[in-house]
Amino acid sequence: MNDVAPALRNEVTARRGRTRRLPLGNWERALLALLLLLTAGLIAGVPGFYPGFAGFLALTENFLPFGFVALGLTTVILTGGIDLSVGAIAGLAAIVMASLWSGLHVSIWLSALIGLLAGGLLGLVNGLIITRLRTEPLIATLATSFIYGSVGVAIAGDNPPSGFPDAFNRVGTGAIGWLPVQIVLFAILAVLFSLLIGRSTFGRRVVMIGYNTDAARYSGVRVRQVLTLSYVISGTMAALAGIVLAAYYSAVRPDMGDLLLLSTITTVVLGGVSIFGGEGSIVGVVIAVLLLGMLRQGMLIAGFSDMVTTMLTGAILLGAIAVKNLFAGRGTGLSTLLGRFRRSGTAPAE
Amino acid sequence: MKISPISRRSAVRAAIASLPMLACIGLAAQAADIDTAKRIKVAMVPKLIGLSVFKANEQGAIAAAKTLNINFLYTGPVTASAQGQVDVFNSLIARRFDVITTTSNNPTQLAPSLRRARKAGIKVVSYDSDVAADARDFFIQNTDYAEFGKALVESVAKYAGPKAKIAILSSTPDATIQNEWIKALTAYMTATYPDMKIVTTQYGQSSPSQSLTAGLNILQANPDVTGIIAPDGAAEVGAAAAVEKLGKTGKVFVTGCSDPDSIRQYVKSGIIKASPLWDEVKEGALVMYVARLAANNAIEPNGSFTAGDLGDFTAKDGVIVFSKPLVFDATNIDQYKF
Amino acid sequence: MSATAAIPVRERAGAARRDPRALVLIGVTVATILLVGLVDHGFMSLQNLRFMVLNCVVLSLLALGQTLVIATRGIDLSVAPVLGLSAMVTGLMAQTGGLPLLGAFGLALAIGVILGTLNGLLVAKLAIPPIITTLGTYSLYSGLIFLYSDGTQVTSVPAAYAALGNGTVLGIVPIPVLVLGAVLAAIWFVIGHSRFGRAILAIGNNQAASYNAGIPVTATQVGAYAVCGVLAALAGLMFVSYTGSATVTTGTGDHMELQSIAVALIGGTAISGGRGPVIGSVLGALFLSVVLTALVFVHVPPIWYSAGEGLMILIAVTAGSRRTA
Repeated sequence: MNDVAPALRNEVTARRGRTRRLPLGNWERALLALLLLLTAGLIAGVPGFYPGFAGFLALTENFLPFGFVALGLTTVILTGGIDLSVGAIAGLAAIVMASLWSGLHVSIWLSALIGLLAGGLLGLVNGLIITRLRTEPLIATLATSFIYGSVGVAIAGDNPPSGFPDAFNRVGTGAIGWLPVQIVLFAILAVLFSLLIGRSTFGRRVVMIGYNTDAARYSGVRVRQVLTLSYVISGTMAALAGIVLAAYYSAVRPDMGDLLLLSTITTVVLGGVSIFGGEGSIVGVVIAVLLLGMLRQGMLIAGFSDMVTTMLTGAILLGAIAVKNLFAGRGTGLSTLLGRFRRSGTAPAE
Repeated sequence: MKISPISRRSAVRAAIASLPMLACIGLAAQAADIDTAKRIKVAMVPKLIGLSVFKANEQGAIAAAKTLNINFLYTGPVTASAQGQVDVFNSLIARRFDVITTTSNNPTQLAPSLRRARKAGIKVVSYDSDVAADARDFFIQNTDYAEFGKALVESVAKYAGPKAKIAILSSTPDATIQNEWIKALTAYMTATYPDMKIVTTQYGQSSPSQSLTAGLNILQANPDVTGIIAPDGAAEVGAAAAVEKLGKTGKVFVTGCSDPDSIRQYVKSGIIKASPLWDEVKEGALVMYVARLAANNAIEPNGSFTAGDLGDFTAKDGVIVFSKPLVFDATNIDQYKF
Repeated sequence: MSATAAIPVRERAGAARRDPRALVLIGVTVATILLVGLVDHGFMSLQNLRFMVLNCVVLSLLALGQTLVIATRGIDLSVAPVLGLSAMVTGLMAQTGGLPLLGAFGLALAIGVILGTLNGLLVAKLAIPPIITTLGTYSLYSGLIFLYSDGTQVTSVPAAYAALGNGTVLGIVPIPVLVLGAVLAAIWFVIGHSRFGRAILAIGNNQAASYNAGIPVTATQVGAYAVCGVLAALAGLMFVSYTGSATVTTGTGDHMELQSIAVALIGGTAISGGRGPVIGSVLGALFLSVVLTALVFVHVPPIWYSAGEGLMILIAVTAGSRRTA
């Protein structure tokens, strides 16, 4: 084994060299290959999975809301934090929107905008509690998720609004030609987040904090600001997911975001983001969103029960991370460190 | 090794389940007016799999499906969520089922998916908990809401007295069917027992432990309560367990809408004197009859039909009331095993 | 003993007693009881106090296991389905097969050891981050509950179980409280006075240094998850004995995993590891139970209960951290 290690490391380094042109690391490539294989297999082997190109693309409407949450949550997890309140924020933002529309007759689009802002505000509260009260992100967002959940139930009342205008519902289920609106929205945001995390100063700081908070602080990063902003982003994206779900269902419910949380953490980690922060890419997360989504839809259409599908998702998560560790375990220490600085563009001046 | 007790149990269950099935086969010959020539695929989607009430529906449905030439599938989400149900519906649409039958986690969120199903030519039959009216072809209502509200009130009024202080223990604040029942029972209470008073309404989130804690808290914080109406499966059990733990048997009377297996011990100990429900097994069979007739286009939104040995039913605007409330008490509860 | 002396162990046995967080919790809990008791004397009645304690037994057991795991700088999300599976298996076998109580204890122990050890092996051997490991096993273990129950549920338990859940010794001390007391004493002893406990704290403080100092890191981690699994399974047995019911959503439906983490952190456990204030964890569960009951007594509308819980968590956690900081 020891003989193989240097060769393998060389290969890894060589591949990393190429990744500077193609924004794909090994893990992302493996995921992408898996996604293509899986999709091809499902199209060939599962009747009903491919009911024509438009119908096939429309499958993504069932799981892209998870993707919106995943993009925001990735930002937080990269800092080494976690946001357990995304589900509650999604539900609350959607209810704020729906209540403004049905109760105060505000236009649905303005309501949606206010819902988004509400999500950002709730994220800001998370960020302030974490940075100003020095509370662990896990416990802070767990506590706020209880609080946001209560507020959602209180506003929603016993008969939450439904039946939004068709123009709005198109955000969830409509298509531009054959291209679902959700895909367009997700693609734009994925590119934006990719630039934000991979190319911007903010993104570099997010990764630095996650990698080593103290080092980031010593090199002049205003840690509190960056952290707070990352929770605002997470909250806003959760709110967006809630609003898209509202359009998809043409209805809101305070508990509609409950399923988002655990699935999204699974997605983000499968996408190659380290749960301890400081490592990972948006591309990986985007591929993981598609992979897990297609897998679930495919398995259900193939006739597997929700139970089997859920169990298998858990097993895949464990298997994938174990495999990833086995490969990454070879090139620990320096090469990982080098890879990190390469990926985040220029190395920060120490 | 873990499997053996299950299979033994399910074998017993299958044997029990096959008894009404045999009866159905005997009677199906008489109900020759239902065209069963073409084999159809029908799915039954409960709020979540693994709960015995929904399993009782399945029992009846399996038996009826055999006589009606139905390829039957019982499938559902592992969490009581609309999102999980919608995922299942979407897969059933892709798999070209002929009929989807479902009891909904909530009426609004499921509607768009079920409308898509109808657009694809799939008949949708809801039962137990309804969805938006334009998202289904037929709805099988367990019992008339007003009658069920009345049955709930009468189940405690006779024992706690017409001036009793009543607590309500429901599932969640936005549970559709629970809210309908609470509305109906409040209306009946104010009309019939003006001195009866609802002092508090609490929620157990359909969780046995939270329902128990809520039940304990109700009785501790409101010592003058002598009746608890808990119109939710877990809530009734939790309330009854709370009464037992506090030693208030005979002083506080509980009612609700649990299945007989869950409340048997409390009915026998006198905490629950009467508890209305309906025959879940037969209801499951009716769901299959309506599914078959809907697929045959042999049933009108307004009109009547015969469902084999279950008897004659009337549809009004697509709503079919299954039965009068079936009140369980110490004398009859052992006749029902589900 | 001498090998571990070199390891920087921040917390020792007595420290749990001196922990300001424990004092804060006792103070806030007593204050709540007195304040609400003034408004409604029923709140201070012996019976109500008894049930507030009884209601926190299951969560306390979970939180104790969680405390051990978090002390190693881990986390265990799978306690909820382990609790559910244990409640379902022991309950169903008791209900239909007449499983004797002693057998139920054995069965719960086996379930806990097997599932907990699997968690531990995945964390320690395959280096999968604990939150990911237990997120994955959460799905797997939940699936086992569905597979095993096959749509049946526990609706009543034999008398011996009911006695375990509801009985008293000498008509005064509830048996579940005795069980909790025994477990608390054992865990307190383990964390403060055993090699295993010191190893747990050392790993949580600095895993690399612990490894270099010759502490069996893998075995200790696996051990911590196994103990956590056993306590979760025991909590399941206590749950089914106390409530007489178990369904497929027992544990997971109430998000017991999040509750147990919250309680452990309220009790003063640091998510960054190295601290295992076991008494604080039980006090945290008691505090939560008292607060949630108090909300009913002061007639807060039910929809705000969970907000109240969230607010109390925040207050407890920030109040304690200010003092220790």
